[in-house]
Amino acid sequence: MYVVQSFCHSLVAAVLVDRALKAWKIYSPLIRQRFRLIVILFPIFSFPLYQLINPARSSVFFRMEALFDSSRWLTLELGWGVPVGVLFFVMLGATSLVFLLQELIPVLRHTMTPKHSVDEGTHFDAGTFVQDTAKVLAIRKPEVILIGEDEPFLFSATGREAVIYLSSGLTRMLSSEELRAAIAHEMAHIARSRRPLLVALFLFRIVQFFNPVVLVKYRRAVRDEEKICDDIAVKLTGDRGALARALKNFYQKPDKKRVLSSLQSSSANMSLEEYGHNLHLESRIARLETEQTGPEPGPLAPFVLTLSAVMLLNYLIV
Amino acid sequence: MKKQLSGLAAFAAAVAILVAALLLANWAPLALQKETLRRYNSIEEVRAALPGKMIYVPSYFPQQVSWPPSKILAQGKPFLASVMEFKRAGSDEAVLTISQAEGPFNTDRDIALTTVSEQVRYIMKGRTAALQVGTCRNGEPCSRMSWHEGGSAITVTMRSGPFELTRISESMLH
Repeated sequence: MYVVQSFCHSLVAAVLVDRALKAWKIYSPLIRQRFRLIVILFPIFSFPLYQLINPARSSVFFRMEALFDSSRWLTLELGWGVPVGVLFFVMLGATSLVFLLQELIPVLRHTMTPKHSVDEGTHFDAGTFVQDTAKVLAIRKPEVILIGEDEPFLFSATGREAVIYLSSGLTRMLSSEELRAAIAHEMAHIARSRRPLLVALFLFRIVQFFNPVVLVKYRRAVRDEEKICDDIAVKLTGDRGALARALKNFYQKPDKKRVLSSLQSSSANMSLEEYGHNLHLESRIARLETEQTGPEPGPLAPFVLTLSAVMLLNYLIV
Repeated sequence: MKKQLSGLAAFAAAVAILVAALLLANWAPLALQKETLRRYNSIEEVRAALPGKMIYVPSYFPQQVSWPPSKILAQGKPFLASVMEFKRAGSDEAVLTISQAEGPFNTDRDIALTTVSEQVRYIMKGRTAALQVGTCRNGEPCSRMSWHEGGSAITVTMRSGPFELTRISESMLH
């Protein structure tokens, strides 16, 4: 019952959130990410919450009056006598497998065995840029470590002492402006990791390991995080083009199999984001090149309205 | 402000479309499979829709219970199940529910024992039933009789003491 209703509630929440983002023309990744939290978090609590409000909600009488009764579909027999419910649970099983292989195991692996250590490389001199940016972001200046590898990569490891790792291949590939923009992006991740929303969200997300809607929305929230850090980097450098060009360099690399695992915020987040196929560079580049972020409507009223609609509609979905 | 209002209108339209889609999706299985749980107007209708299935109905009704049932729900798939709700005579209050099911079938709504003060084994016409006496949600006295009959679990719940309940239950057996 919990599994089925969580799925239905997340699906309805996803539709409503998507519609809300379009209706109110919300483009800010920060606000979009907040809206997506509804889809990820709400289905965890919706079923027990509704049962607490109305214990008779699971009775057949309530089901008959519901807006949507999932059991009608689950018990619907297909031509060869197999109920739809079997296919539904196969889908949930496949989602659980994807979660295990693409999210949980990589996260645990990256958390336990960091890809690089400070001892592997040498200090990279980025001038006063890192120091100045750290001051603006109100964070401790991270160490920037140059790793002698041709494969271009750039990522940050948070924790007590944040470190930014970049490869010598990357320094050869990017101009100084592009490199600054990319480092600023990493520093944005470090600054945001002081409140590690995605890691906290991932812990909740584990509860919904079977839910394909949550799987998709969590990945979108991770992508939003990249765009949020892009925005911060642009504010820090004042140069949208440099970051776009930096990203383009990554994207246009001929050896696409070795796409960068770059511009990621922490060793844990790195694998979280890795599962999202190393960022959706195209949309980020397009956004940086074309989007003029204008004033957006106050997000509170749309958020409250969307959440209310999600809660009300889902109460009638059993 | 104009942007907010146009956003609100667009969102309201999206909600309306979603509600319509959900209603359609809720109706579709009824059209595709006639044995899906649905509402019926009479017991005869149930018997016609689920031929060959035994639907147990009491032959005794106390005067306080109005006949016919105010609500009848039944399904043939994934297992046979039915529930009848009866109102108190001259009132809109549900006073009696009779359910039978070959699987898990939750019929607790208006009449549901929330506290059980006494539970005894009750033998009726060779069947062993469980008789529970207690109170319903609003603290009113309620009683429930449940037993197995021909592969189905039968439960009779009444908003009263056990006296009339046992007579109703016994009248369902032949």
